[in-house]
Amino acid sequence: MEKKAWKGILLLVAFIVVVLSAGSLFVGHSETFAGFLYGAGGVALFMLFAKLMTLIQREGKQDD
Amino acid sequence: MIDLSSVPNIPPGFIFIFGAAFLPLFGKGKLRQVYLIILTALGLISVAVMREPQTSWVFSNLIFLQVDRLSLLMGYIFAIAGGSAIIYSLATVKDNGHHICALLYLGSAMGAVFAGDFFSLYIFWEIMAFSSLGLIWYEGSRRARDAGMRYILFHLFGGCALLGGIIFHYMSTGSTAIGPVEYGIGYWLLLLGIGVNAAFIPLHTWLPDSYPKATIAGTIFLSIFTTKTGIYMLARTFSGAELPIHGQEYLFVAYMGGAMCLYGVIFAILQNDVRKLLSYHIVSQLGYMVAGVGMGAIGLGLIATEAQHLAIDGAFAHLFNNLLFKSTLFMCMGAVIYRTGYNNLTDMGGLAKKMPITMITCVIAALSISGIIGFNGYISKGMVIHAAEMHELHLLVLILTLGSVGTLISFIKLTYFAFFTKNDEIEAKEAPIFMLIPMCVTALMCIAIGVHPELLYNILPYVGATAHYHAFEVGHTFSVLQLVLMTVFLFFMIGFFAPHEKVTYDVDYLYRKAGRAFIWSCEKPLIGFATAVEKQVLRLADYIVKFSQNPRRETRLSIGSGVLFVILFFVLYLIIMLYAGWLSP
Repeated sequence: MEKKAWKGILLLVAFIVVVLSAGSLFVGHSETFAGFLYGAGGVALFMLFAKLMTLIQREGKQDD
Repeated sequence: MIDLSSVPNIPPGFIFIFGAAFLPLFGKGKLRQVYLIILTALGLISVAVMREPQTSWVFSNLIFLQVDRLSLLMGYIFAIAGGSAIIYSLATVKDNGHHICALLYLGSAMGAVFAGDFFSLYIFWEIMAFSSLGLIWYEGSRRARDAGMRYILFHLFGGCALLGGIIFHYMSTGSTAIGPVEYGIGYWLLLLGIGVNAAFIPLHTWLPDSYPKATIAGTIFLSIFTTKTGIYMLARTFSGAELPIHGQEYLFVAYMGGAMCLYGVIFAILQNDVRKLLSYHIVSQLGYMVAGVGMGAIGLGLIATEAQHLAIDGAFAHLFNNLLFKSTLFMCMGAVIYRTGYNNLTDMGGLAKKMPITMITCVIAALSISGIIGFNGYISKGMVIHAAEMHELHLLVLILTLGSVGTLISFIKLTYFAFFTKNDEIEAKEAPIFMLIPMCVTALMCIAIGVHPELLYNILPYVGATAHYHAFEVGHTFSVLQLVLMTVFLFFMIGFFAPHEKVTYDVDYLYRKAGRAFIWSCEKPLIGFATAVEKQVLRLADYIVKFSQNPRRETRLSIGSGVLFVILFFVLYLIIMLYAGWLSP
């Protein structure tokens, strides 16, 4: 199987895990699998922040 | 056998300060190295034999040695981390001046934590600012000189605020004892002065600006003392400080910690320069400590709750651990820069095989700061977050948890792109022995505390507070494991966080713009106005001189015009008198 397909399947599995942990937290009121949700939420949040920060970034070497 | 309890304790700060004075006598060779190692050992011994509680070395109102569990904990970690930095600097530092600055910095930081009154604290606080400046300026480049200038301007501002606060506090209470401060101008000035050193947002910009530009060894010293002394003083004066807003009390210092945690990590993720990345992480990790201090309480005795004691213990456990893993990280990256000459992640890679010991110690420190189970960061971060849960500060719990996700992302990025990506062009060899020894010692301590947290619990300010905290509770451990697995998986699957050569603006962009605008307004409109006024004054003076010499020649008005002016002034005078009602009977 191609590398991209594997990557897609793994991301799909991660998505299912996140949905299940969100379900267990918000519907079942159980924090047993909340760690997956925090991890995924955190990565998404920092991706969003990084995208937003590109508005105040400029190309070039870090200098003064 | 010598009874150590009968030997009077010497303030450890004095050992380093007087040690700095005698350093030039030992030349620049092996003798100097031996002298510095002996000084390090003496510093460690002087803290190890310290008795608590005690108050000694009192001169008039100045108290140079006040020891309790909190100051002793600070003394331990400053002696360990400072000693490691001294050994590390033996490999790279040639100038005696650099060593003197480092010793003065270490000595004054020790002096500040053992100071028993605000004025002695202020003396050491200022010595710290100027001696640390030397560690930036010794780098020798223009960038370092400019950054050093901005650094000292910030710290002079903070020092002035601190002194103002101390004076106001003294005027209102008549006491200079270090402790909680009454609400008023002094309160805010002290908070501002301490806030500069503790890198409160938006007073933090001196830190990521100057630390990456200091010398390789200088950065290690800088990462240890200034901010941690700030946290210590914050705990002494503002632990559990509340701000009334609309009739409700808010733990604003704790929330400032949350803001620092998230802000620092967001900027760290964007960095390419390894030392800048680590510098932003200092701000972020300080956030955990400030949050702990903000929720805690010192000096309340039995009134304080278990949650408040756990918060203080968590804050100082994290301070202790942070100094171990953060100094290890700075030492590792310093070794990489020393061997490769590169500062940016985009230039690095492929160093795992060329610098294996550096790589292993760096990975240990990265796992520790990321809060992975079995390493020291896991213990102390958990304590702070648990204290926030006990206080029912749900937003703060969420922020601190997300902060640890960001930390993990940053350190996967740092270690992966520095050591494990392919780079055939890079040339390097393992770091010198004087660099490796302290790196290995601090890395091993990270593991030792991570596996046996009791080693740390026993020296924390409130021993009983950790009795009900179970670091390795199954639910907590399982939750952290899930968080780590998901973050690592997404990091590699998405591939979003690769380093780029980009410049990221922080709030200091606004300071610098405002500073330039201020200088322009001084140079252009203000100087123009001053020149115009000076010109007119000189003309007037010239006219008066000439008029006094020959009034008739200089009087250009005719007699008729003069009479008209007098009448006009008289009419004006009458109108004003009429409107003011002064003419009515």
